[in-house]
Amino acid sequence: MAEEPESALQLPPSTAADGEGPTEVSPETATPEPPSSAAVSPGTEEPAGDTKKKIDVLLKAVGDTPIMKTKKWAVERTRTIQGLIDFIKKFLKLVASEQLFIYVNQSFAPSPDQEVGTLYECFGSDGKLVLHYCKSQAWG
Amino acid sequence: MEEDEFFGEKAFQRFCVEFIKHSRQIGDGWEWRTSKDCSEGYMCKTHFQIKPGTVVSHPGTSAHVQTCLPMEEALELPLDDFEVTETTTGSEVIKYEYHVLYSCSYQVPVLYFRASFLDGRPLTLKDIWEGIHECYKTRLLQEPWDTITQQEHPILGQPFFVLHPCKTNEFMTPVLKNSRKFNRSVNYITSWLSIVGPVVGLNLPLSYARTASQDE
Repeated sequence: MAEEPESALQLPPSTAADGEGPTEVSPETATPEPPSSAAVSPGTEEPAGDTKKKIDVLLKAVGDTPIMKTKKWAVERTRTIQGLIDFIKKFLKLVASEQLFIYVNQSFAPSPDQEVGTLYECFGSDGKLVLHYCKSQAWG
Repeated sequence: MEEDEFFGEKAFQRFCVEFIKHSRQIGDGWEWRTSKDCSEGYMCKTHFQIKPGTVVSHPGTSAHVQTCLPMEEALELPLDDFEVTETTTGSEVIKYEYHVLYSCSYQVPVLYFRASFLDGRPLTLKDIWEGIHECYKTRLLQEPWDTITQQEHPILGQPFFVLHPCKTNEFMTPVLKNSRKFNRSVNYITSWLSIVGPVVGLNLPLSYARTASQDE
């Protein structure tokens, strides 16, 4: 298997870091580290799910809604759906006239005051909460 | 699967039956009504709520907290308790009536509602706007009069407010498509009402979402 890539530039990782001007930045360094980077690794050292202050939330785009580069976020339990909507809207730079909805189970929009912690208890699985988001010119 | 995009009256009634079944289990108060002279029917619920913002007599309760109170936590008062509440806090109880009808012209469900004080005085469109959740206001206020209008209830013939259905298909289609991708059966009514309800103070308990996932 190792034969194939040898035709490519054989830069040891250390020299690449020395940086000759327009070096191609590896995807790892290009992607801003999500604050939840620790959460991406298997949480074996984490205390039991209930005691965790933050919840791993996986955000998935629906339809033609732009995707977010960072999909997994550590979100405080007390954060409301509205808080999350505001965050995503800002992150995706949506304009005010666009409404963003968040769904659990792909199709149910929890009310804006609903807290992420409650949603996790009802719909979380495998230590995370999957939320779908979709933008729309819903009304007007 | 194309026919799934089409939401007919039969499907509407079937989803309403399903929805009401769960409502009965949790005592959420939804019921089906038919009119005497035609076969059409609608799903409805009456809800009593303390008017947000009228409890300003309590120092330290910010207006923000008031508007963010989830509906479930708002008091559902039996009528006899009304006077007590009014005299002690100066707040007013509002009776909300939510009706879900099928629109033949848009082929989508439509949310009709009206609200009145207990003496029968109806809330004006302005009052309704004041009660709308903060997070929808910025968006809705851009074209308020297109979004909520006063119209005649097609079956009752009385004036109701209507959340305009012209965009319903637009926001429902991606949701339904996505659910189908995951092979999840979706109750259109549950999904739709969870989206539009909170705009006018109607929050569905989370257990509605769980019934949907059990049908999987």
